[in-house]
Amino acid sequence: MEDYALVMKDVCKDFKVLNRHEGLKGSIQDLFSRDYKTISAVKDVSLNVKRGEIIGYLGPNGAGKSTTIKMMTGVLEPTSGEILVNGKVPYKNRTENCENIGVVFGQRSQLWWSLPLIESFKLLRDIYMVPKNEYNDMIELYKSLVDIEPIINKPVRQMSLGQRTLSDILAAFLHNPAIVFLDEPTIGLDVSMKDKIRSLIKGLNKEKNTTVILTTHDMGDVDALCKRIVIIDKGTKIYDNDIEHLKSYFGSYRTLHMRLADDTWESMLIDEKETDIMDVIMRKQKETKIKDIRLEEISTEEVIKKIYEGDAA
Amino acid sequence: MEHVRGLAFYTKLYRKILVQDLKTKMSYRADFIISTIGMIMTNLSGFVTFLILFRNFPTINGWDYYHMLFLYGFSLVALTPVQCFFDNNWNLRFMVYSGDFIKYCFRPVNVFFYFISEVFDVKGLGQLAFGIGTLVYSWIHIGLPVSFMIILKLIVFLITASLFMIALMNAAAATCFWIKNSGYVMVIMFRFKDFAKYPASIFSGIFKVIFTFVIPIAFVAYYPSLVILDPDNVPLLSLLSPVLGILFFYLSYKFWMLGVRKYDFTGS
Amino acid sequence: MNPRKLLALTRAGIMESLQFRLGTFVTLFANLIYLVLVYYLWKAIYASSGVDVVNGMTFTDTMIYLILATSLFNFLEMFVVWDMSRSIQSGKIILDLLKPMKFRRYTFWSYSGSHVVSFFLTFLPTFVVVMIITHGAIHMGLNLIWFVIATVFALLINFNIEMLVATVCLYTESTWGINIVKETIVLLLSGASIPIAFFPDKLKTVVEYMPFRGVYDIPLTILLQKNGSDTLEGLLPMFLFQLIWIVILTAAGTLFWNYSVKKITVNGG
Repeated sequence: MEDYALVMKDVCKDFKVLNRHEGLKGSIQDLFSRDYKTISAVKDVSLNVKRGEIIGYLGPNGAGKSTTIKMMTGVLEPTSGEILVNGKVPYKNRTENCENIGVVFGQRSQLWWSLPLIESFKLLRDIYMVPKNEYNDMIELYKSLVDIEPIINKPVRQMSLGQRTLSDILAAFLHNPAIVFLDEPTIGLDVSMKDKIRSLIKGLNKEKNTTVILTTHDMGDVDALCKRIVIIDKGTKIYDNDIEHLKSYFGSYRTLHMRLADDTWESMLIDEKETDIMDVIMRKQKETKIKDIRLEEISTEEVIKKIYEGDAA
Repeated sequence: MEHVRGLAFYTKLYRKILVQDLKTKMSYRADFIISTIGMIMTNLSGFVTFLILFRNFPTINGWDYYHMLFLYGFSLVALTPVQCFFDNNWNLRFMVYSGDFIKYCFRPVNVFFYFISEVFDVKGLGQLAFGIGTLVYSWIHIGLPVSFMIILKLIVFLITASLFMIALMNAAAATCFWIKNSGYVMVIMFRFKDFAKYPASIFSGIFKVIFTFVIPIAFVAYYPSLVILDPDNVPLLSLLSPVLGILFFYLSYKFWMLGVRKYDFTGS
Repeated sequence: MNPRKLLALTRAGIMESLQFRLGTFVTLFANLIYLVLVYYLWKAIYASSGVDVVNGMTFTDTMIYLILATSLFNFLEMFVVWDMSRSIQSGKIILDLLKPMKFRRYTFWSYSGSHVVSFFLTFLPTFVVVMIITHGAIHMGLNLIWFVIATVFALLINFNIEMLVATVCLYTESTWGINIVKETIVLLLSGASIPIAFFPDKLKTVVEYMPFRGVYDIPLTILLQKNGSDTLEGLLPMFLFQLIWIVILTAAGTLFWNYSVKKITVNGG
């Protein structure tokens, strides 16, 4: 147990919602209705995360990802099951748990909107009671990892989305928490900014041995940062292992790219066990001229897509 | 690594946030001017309403012009803390609705404190000046004595009165954790306070009880001010008002925090 | 613009308002409490004055006027200013501007649904209660139809005032300040907190020419058949007054809005 930063055992979460009826008449009915139904957002999820690990926590929209994150951060209480963050039950002592975690929600800044970043940092230092030398070391570390000069004196409201995300990530690590939760940290960012953010996360994780739980829809994040991924769908955990393992599971899959006569690339995913690649090429060649061919291993994106679509079972 | 966060911690933190906030406020001149104008207009129109009323009706329930003016000034001063320190309650509804409220739950400090500390509203100070002016003016005309004791009493009971107002607005704001379109609750509660400046003796029966103990607008000016206005004849409720004020504030805080816990953060 | 499309917005608005059922009941309840406050205050005021009629208004007249003004206030209450400043700060305004409909028109019709709901849930019940309590002090005749027309005009005036004020949000973030100025001015000068009949003559003359009278005072005067509004000669100037202000405010509002949006888009705010 000691080695785990996060332990979840058979965690469930139910919500009670009003059964709504359709149409104008339904709306008037609902005004007096007491017809509730229970929705299980998370069902029997168990998970162990080692210290210093970065895991990708993936799943389609509405799969129960954010509900799980909210339980891990102590905001929501699970209906049943056990959660230990850093050896403690998060929702039982929210304040204590907050000292050990950092949270970043992409697009939702948690910093003081009108304060310059450095002032936000100073307030956070006070809130988390970070000793002065540790705080200074952290700022030095930040300086070595990213160029913070252009943003350090800028109010958050005047920052670009990328700068804001960067600031939020820095703020989340400031008190050197054991676990940091990153919810879609690269959403809406341009390619170079994404790169910057990823290398920052990687650098901080390496320097401070911080555990990172990353939820994202961007497989670029996963490829760059995570060895291990956990996939949740309809509230149930459907996959929990290394990406490499997953890829080898789909080992017989290849992506075939063909450049056609009009210079456009056509790609298709082929399971070698069932289809012979040469057959596909030859068939295509009868229709049109093929100028170039490239064969690739299945990409993470495609693996995840296959899993979401239910092909992994 | 566990930290204990006591009163000293919160006081120091609040002071720091306040200083930072004021610094940035200065850089948004237009906003400051507009809200100051807004504040002056509100007070002026409140005063005009008051004057029009007294032009038509010289006394209300045995209260003459200057005594009513005293009550009016008293309620204005008592309203200042809620304007200055608890103004962020007006934003709560939007935060909860959009799901942004969740960000206040990730810090190792009291959620209510963290949320409320975010906004300090300078414009409330204009109202304070207006209220003090009215209070002094009516004080002189009524011919009330001036002594250290009476000023001390005034301050204690002004704070008492503002505790009730804070409690009312806290509770009104917190309804948004249960009710989705609760904007109106705050709006109407803010209008209720307009009745705080009239003597609570106008109420009778069950409503006297309601406006004293359930929606305690009778405590926002009437009961606490009697200690100053009628020192020989102070009702028990006036004497108890500081204790009740603390109790109401505590209950409203508990209600607010219960809302945070009940709220399922589904908004996203 | 296809009227079907506009009605679809109204319908969506009705359904959205009804979704928040608890809120609907609480609003109803809060209004009742407010009316109780108004009742006690004015009862005390009239009792202390010792006379039954002040400035041509009896206690019953004043009560009916203020009760209906309050429910009219709820009926007309829009959160345009708040919503606008939210969507400006979050950047959602860009999406709204891209909608294939004039923004002002879109806003108006989106709100129309909640007006319909609050008419049935707050105004109508209040009206019925007043009718029962006063044993028919409100005349039931043509004045009801004139009242409805005047209320629709009032709605338009109110919407235009809201939109004018909301446009100011494009320039400042001090929503509270803007909103409170609007609210206090409208409430005082429209006669919603004290009937205009009680105003001193000089103030009354000023208020006579301002648009705010068209929001609460005119519909209620017509309903209560005061100031000669029971004759066509008395009625016409009132309607004319409302119409002129609708035209002026719509023109001013549209110009100000278009100018501001252009300016903001150019600056890339």
